[in-house]
Parts: sequence; C-alpha cells; structure tokens
Amino acid sequence: MENYAIEMLNITKTFGGKPANDNISLQLRKGEIHALLGENGAGKSTLMSILFGLYQADSGIIKKDGEVIEIKGPKDANKYRIGMVHQHFKLVEVFTVLENIILGSETTKFGFIQKKESREKIIKLSEEYGLNVDPDKLIENTTVGMQQRVEILKMLYRDNDILIFDEPTAVLTPQEIEELLKIMKRLAESGKSILFITHKINEILAVADRCTVLRKGQYVGTVNVSETNKVELTEMMVGRKVEFVVQKEECKPGDTVLEVNKLVVSGSKKNKNAVNNVSFKVRRGEIVCIAGIDGNGQSELAYGITGLEKIKSGSIVFNGEEITHSSVNRRNKMGLAHIPEDRHKFGLVLDFTLENNLVLKKYNEEQFQKFRFIKKDEIRKYAEELIEKFDIRSPQGPTNSARTMSGGNQQKAIIAREIDVNPELLIAVQPTRGLDVGAIEFIHKQIVAQRDLGKAVLLFSLELDEVMNLSDRILVMYEGEIVGELDPKQTTVNELGLYMAGTKNNVKGDN
Amino acid sequence: MAGWLWFLLQLVIIAGFVTYLIISAKKAKQENRTTWFMKTWEKDSVKSIASSLMSIILGLLIGCLILFIMVLIPTQGSKLSMKSAIDGIQLIFSGIFNTGRNANGSLIFGFNSVNIGDMLFRATPLILTGLSVAVAFKTGLFNIGAPGQYLASTSVTLILALSIPTSVVHPIFVWIIAFFGGILVGALWGVVPGIFKALLNVNEVITCIMMNWISANLVTMLFDKQIGPFKNLLDPSGTKNLAYVFKTTHNGVATPKLGLDLIFEGSQVNFGIIIAIVIAILIHIILNKTTFGYQLKACGSNKNAAKYAGINDKVCTIVSMAIAGGLAGAAASLYYLAGNTEFAWETYQSLPAVGFNGIPVALLACNHPVGTVFSAIFISLLDVNGMQLKYMTPYNEYITSIITAIIVYFSAFSLLFKQILNGKIKINLKNIFKRNSEKTVETIEKETATEDKKEVIE
Ligand SMILES: Nc1ncnc2c1ncn2[C@@H]1O[C@H](COP(=O)(O)OP(=O)(O)OP(=O)(O)O)[C@@H](O)[C@H]1O
Ligand SMILES: [Mg+2]
Repeated sequence: MENYAIEMLNITKTFGGKPANDNISLQLRKGEIHALLGENGAGKSTLMSILFGLYQADSGIIKKDGEVIEIKGPKDANKYRIGMVHQHFKLVEVFTVLENIILGSETTKFGFIQKKESREKIIKLSEEYGLNVDPDKLIENTTVGMQQRVEILKMLYRDNDILIFDEPTAVLTPQEIEELLKIMKRLAESGKSILFITHKINEILAVADRCTVLRKGQYVGTVNVSETNKVELTEMMVGRKVEFVVQKEECKPGDTVLEVNKLVVSGSKKNKNAVNNVSFKVRRGEIVCIAGIDGNGQSELAYGITGLEKIKSGSIVFNGEEITHSSVNRRNKMGLAHIPEDRHKFGLVLDFTLENNLVLKKYNEEQFQKFRFIKKDEIRKYAEELIEKFDIRSPQGPTNSARTMSGGNQQKAIIAREIDVNPELLIAVQPTRGLDVGAIEFIHKQIVAQRDLGKAVLLFSLELDEVMNLSDRILVMYEGEIVGELDPKQTTVNELGLYMAGTKNNVKGDN
Repeated sequence: MAGWLWFLLQLVIIAGFVTYLIISAKKAKQENRTTWFMKTWEKDSVKSIASSLMSIILGLLIGCLILFIMVLIPTQGSKLSMKSAIDGIQLIFSGIFNTGRNANGSLIFGFNSVNIGDMLFRATPLILTGLSVAVAFKTGLFNIGAPGQYLASTSVTLILALSIPTSVVHPIFVWIIAFFGGILVGALWGVVPGIFKALLNVNEVITCIMMNWISANLVTMLFDKQIGPFKNLLDPSGTKNLAYVFKTTHNGVATPKLGLDLIFEGSQVNFGIIIAIVIAILIHIILNKTTFGYQLKACGSNKNAAKYAGINDKVCTIVSMAIAGGLAGAAASLYYLAGNTEFAWETYQSLPAVGFNGIPVALLACNHPVGTVFSAIFISLLDVNGMQLKYMTPYNEYITSIITAIIVYFSAFSLLFKQILNGKIKINLKNIFKRNSEKTVETIEKETATEDKKEVIE
C-alpha cells in the first residue's frame, strides 16, 4: 500500500442544498506536483478550501501520512504543515516583505519581535529556492510576481510541506509564469508535495506529474500527465472537443469608430506619465489588440478611454464625437462597453445578486423601469436569458449573490453584460483571465461575432496565444508608448516578444 | 407569581420550537431535502431579524445580571434585596405592562395604555433619526450629524410654528409649513457634509461633528435670553416675563391625535407615529423598488463599480446626505409639533441624545428601513421599562440608565451576530479562552476578510 502525503476521501460539501463537491477523492503523493483541472465552478477552490480548513466538509475524511486528521481552521492546517497561496493574495500592503512573512508566527524575546533570526531564515530560503525577494521592500512597491513569491516564502517559512496553489498563474505575465513553474519544480524536488490549480493545460503538461479532473462538482478521474495530451485532458474536463484556434473570416474594416490622439494619462507614478503620447484608430469590423508586458500603461490607457481615469492631454473621438472629458455615463450611452481588468474593483457589486449585477448598466432603461420603479420580473427574465446564453453557473441562479460565485463565473457574468448591451465599441481588458478552456473558446467566438457584426473591438491581453489568435492588428505598448504595429499573420511570437521587451520599435519618429 | 409562570411558559414554548426546527433541519439534511425553515433561513431578511433578536436577548440577559450584581455589592443604606432584583427582571422584560402592585406587594401586569402610548410617542423621533443614519449607511456614509440636523430643525420648526399668526393662517397650514421648514433645514445641515465629501473628499464624520456644534451654538444664540433675536417668540410685546420654554400650543399648533388618544388613554401619543411609519415605508420603497435606490446602494457597496456603470457617485453622496438630514429634521419637527413638548433653550447648549440614538436604532435594524420602526419602538420600550424600574423598585435612576444603555449597546451587536449566522465569523470557544501569544493564521484570515469588507464599503 502506498503512503500518500494527503488523501481526501469521499469529500462532499453542499452550499444551501446544492453540492459544490460531490463525493470527491484525491490522493497526493509525496514529492509530486498534482494538478487539479476543471471548468469554472467545478468545485476546485472549494475542495482546496476544505483542505486548508476554510470550509468544513459535510462528509468524507482527510488523511495525512495515512492517519485521519481533522482540519477545523487554517490554524489546524498550519499545524499539519499545509499552506495555501490564494488566488487573491492576503498580504498587508503597508508592511514589508519580512513583516508579512513572519506575521502570525513571530519569534519573540521578552515580547519583542526578533527580526534578525527571521531575516536570516528568509534570506536562506529565498536563495535555496531562487525566489529572489528583498525582505525590506514594502508590499505596495512590489510587482504581482514578487507578491506571489512572498506568499510562497510564507509557506516555506512555516515549514509547510503540502503546498496548495489556487490559480497562481492567472495574474502573472508569461515570463513570471515560467519562473513560477521552475520554482514549483524545485520545491517538488526538495520533497514538498504540491497541489496546483490552473486552467492552462500547457502548464500542467509542463510541470505536473498527475492530474485530477473535476466536472460540475464530481470526480472524473486522475491521469498520469506523461500518458496524456492536451486534447484528451480538455475532453475529460469539458466533456466535448474544444477548438483552440479561433476560426474567423478575413477582416473587412469599415469607418473609424475610435480615434485616440496624442493621449497622455498621468497614472500613479510621479514624474512619469503612464500613457505617453499614444495615437491609434480602431475601425468597424476589426479587432485591435494592445499587447505588452503587464504594467506598461495598458491599464491606464483602458481607464482613460473608458473615462475612469482623467486625461492629461490629447483627445479621444468616438463615432465622430469628442469624448475626452465626457462622463462615463455619456460614453456608455454612446455604445461603449468595457470588460474591466479588475472584476472585483470595477466589474461587480459583490453584495448585489447576480441579476442585479447583470443590469448594472441597463437598470435605467425603459425595459427595466417604469416611472423609475424597477421591474423586478423583467430583470429576472433578462438575467435568466443571459445565464442560459452565456452558461453562467451559480447554485441559486439569478438570485445568487455575486460574492459566492466562482471566479470564472463572475467573469462570465461581466462579459455577458457587456456584450449584450450591443455596443459600438467593445473594450475588453484580459477578458478570459481565469476562464476554463471551454469558456475561453466560447468568449473568443463571441468577440469575433461582435466584429463580424461590424463592431469595433479593442482588446487588451497579456496572453500571446490570445493576441496572435484573435487580433486583426496588434499594437505593442512599452513604457507607456506604442512601439510597434504588427500584422498577426506576418509576425511571429518571437518578434512580438522583442517588441514587448522594448528592443524593437517600428513607429519611431511618429508622434 | 403569575408573572413567573408566564415567563416559564414562554421559555418552554420557544425552546420547544427551536428544538423542532433544528431536529427537522438535521433530518432533512441527511435525506438531502430542504425544509421550509431552511429555505426561509437562507433569506437575508430572516437572518437580519434573527440576529437582531439574538442581540436584544443578550443585552437583556446582561441587564438582568447587573441587577443581581447591584444586590450583591454591599453599600450603606442599600434597600436592594433579592426580591428587588426579581422584581427588576420582570420589569426589564415587561415593565410596560406593569399596572402597579397588589395588596401583597407583588407586581401585577395588564394592559397599561399610558405606558404603551408613551412608548409610541417616544419612538416617533427615534424612528426618523434611525432612518436618517440607516439611509446614509446604505450609501456607505456615516451620518453622525443627526443631532445637529435635529437641533437645526428644532429651531426652525419652533420659529415657524410660533411666529405665523394662527388668526391669519389656519393652524393646519402652520403645522405643515413648520414641518416642511424643519425638514428643509435638516436637509441643509446634512447636505453640507455631503458636498464636502463628494467634492473635496473630506471625511463626512469630521464635517458632521463640526456641523453639530455649529448647530448647538447657533440655536442657543437664536433663543438666548439676552441677545437672542427670537427670545420674545412667545410674547412679541416683551412685557410679560415668561419662562423661556417654547411650546407650539402657545400658538394653537399641535399634531392631531386622530383617535389615538382614545386607544391609549392618558398617553402622549399622536398622529406623528403614523407619519413616521409611513415615512419608513416610503424610504423602504425608494431604496428597494426604484432605480434611485439601486444607484444609492450600488454607490454604497462598491463606489468604483458604480462609477464604472456610469452612476454619478458624487450626486449619490450629496443626495443621500440631504435625505438623511431631512429625516433627522423631520424627527425634530414631529417631536416639537406634538404640542405637549417644550424646548428650553438653556438645556440645548448640548447635543440632543435622540440624534445619537439613531445610530443604535439603525444598527439594531441592520439598516433596514422598516426594521428601524421596530428597533425604535424597542428602544423606547426599554426607556419605559427603565422608568418603571425606577418608580417601582429601589434601584435609582442612574442604575436604570446604565442598564438601559448596556442593553442598547449590546443591541448594536446585531451586525456581528449576522456575520456569525452567515458563517463569516467562526466562533471557537477554545481559541477565545486559550491565551495565545502568537497571532494565529486564523486571525490573519479574518483580518484580511474584514479588510476586504472595508474596501467594499469605502
Ligand atoms: N461560500 C459559498 N457559498 C455558496 N456557494 C458557494 C460558496 N463558495 C463556492 N460556492 C459555489 O460552489 C461552486 C464551486 O465553486 P468553486 O469556487 O469551488 O469553483 P472553482 O472550481 O474554483 O471555479 P473557478 O475556476 O471559476 O474558480 C460554485 O457554484 C460556487 O458558486
Ligand atoms: Mg476558483
């Protein structure tokens, strides 16, 4: 009989009568990287939260090294050396890296924190695993990738040997992902056992030893990664074949819809503009993609165009009307739709129900109100339509609170709302972040359909695959400026990478 | 003794019902069914009510505990005995039904029209200040300016009600003018912090407190015995040396009773309570059934998302503070237009408690507009019960006030109970009692969770 590091046997967990995990078993070998794959809402986060003690299973047992254990809270999890990197990091912004790592298990002498020993331990661990963190930096001054490594250090500092990663790569740039995967491999080699949730099958193929697949809260199977491939895994997970390459017709651009002229947005950094002198056009019937490494001004550009951030200089013309300083409401009314980058900050009112979130931009329309009184039934009907059409999964349907929906389904709700306003211009910022492959395929088709209907689409993406696949024209942003305009049919991923790194530039002299 | 039996019987019935619910829910869970109770339990409003009840009961129990402690503390000349503690408990729970003592000296209970009517009368302004705080909360604002708004409205209501001659204008119209005048000035007092918050991002708490003191001093000045421009409101010729208490009946203006005095004989209740309840229902409709309420709530729970949706969050902030101020203003108007109430300028160099009490009223109601009606009535009930305690037992008025205050304080825990019911906070008795020098991972989890919440509210 094999001795597993962790066994979760016949775990069932229901929320309000609806099962999120239905009799799921998962066995984690010592020193392996075990991937967990499943559609949005399949119950992956729930299962891991049970292991970490955030939820209690209704039935089923958890064994560590063959012995039954009970995990009543994160404190117990820590006792059994189980650590978790959450999808949304839990770091204190105004603390240093060191303070964040030791928070909760400070070594003290006469009530004073002994930072010296901790610092040594952290530096040692950081070197050992090539994490490359600076213990004295404030969290608010670090990149997302660094914050993630701090979370990993937090687990190592507590001598955890079961490491849970919930969608760690969703927020990282391709370079950071590569680095993270290397770190994970190193951790596994040193004897740690890793549970790894991701929607990107390539990552599973690259690092995982085995993969467990869940579908709609149920266990589908566990496979050895060396004996499988992308197509098979996808089929196991979605239950059908998925096309990875978007089929689309030749692009037939029409009139200009959006014209951005010498736009400058100041952003949060002092003495440097986040967006500097950017000009471009988006026409009807084309998908223009802004590519680039995260943090090169893409977010600020999107916020500037959608009116969420003030414009310093330059102008924006939308369908012939200047909207540089127009209100967000005016822009929305003119037919500008926006899938925002940060779904919790801008995209959703988490305390509202799903249906109320689906009408966030429409509640004022004739269809949903009469003399300013909301027509609840109409909203319900509309929400049910969208839920059906976009396959938004939530246990309580339209009345589910947005907060308790799975990450991917929250994203689908936003996309449904924005595409359904029938926009003139769709601004989609990383629209498929955190979505499963089936959902990505569906969303890509929807975006192409919008284009074919003669709408203009401005896509912001960090995923090279998505950029190459979906766009008709690529603009590369580097340090707040557009440094390249490329045709996806005539360029390669390598060339694109050179532009993104700022080593190549084909729009010089044009300002 | 009858009171005791009553009490026991109630306890048995409640305990039996709760056990039934728990057992049936457990059984249903095993069989993968849901009972009507589980379905209702999922509803937010049910949880709100349950959590309010739980905090009320906790407060009452602690109040009772204090009664006992007072008996046990030896003080010179103390007349407190075990019997007074037992009487006290009965009065805390049901003093409103007290009708005196019988020949044996034990308390007797029955329908007491004066007490019940007075409770409703006292609840009237509290409902409105509670609403005022609740509306602001829904938009993510903390209206601690209700006392100032109340006071500003007090002065304008009195000035209008006393200076418009009823010989020329019908008293009903004077009443209406004074009522709306009070609301308007309350709204004005509320809108100032709203504007500062919306346009300059000055924290509304600071501006509200400032406005409170402006109001307190301004009103005192207006009615000052020596220099106040309105000191002769009761007596324009200034010849009679009147006591400086202002009462609207002097000008024949008073809220009609409309038969309520027949139901609650001998009490102060008037039509104002009905007006307050109607206003609460109106606010409920506005918040939950209209697009305007949708906007306010969106701003309140996620300002960024509201902005993104094209909602003008600045307008929301300003309007919501204006409404909040108007409601606190209405509280003062209804109170002073009652006719049996009087305003003595000397006492008003301080801020009125009814304004601040709007905060526990709103908290106890979990910010639900109709809920404020019940929580305001409950808090006035405590007042009335406290008064019975003071008159019927040797406990002095200070202890009574302390006990009432403690009950009110614990009532405000309803939000905490609601979070527990929602499973957002796990209570682990072992952790609470075990002194632990290291901060547990769990507390960090919780902290980040509350931080998340704060962000949402901001
Ligand atoms: N606290 C909760 N209350 C009620 N329902 C919940 C709660 N947490 C999760 N759920 C529901 O359980 C189901 C599984 O959610 P979970 O977050 O585990 O999905 P997931 O596999 O992580 O999906 P994703 O890939 O989108 O993150 C979803 O339908 C979700 O709405
Ligand atoms: Mg998840």
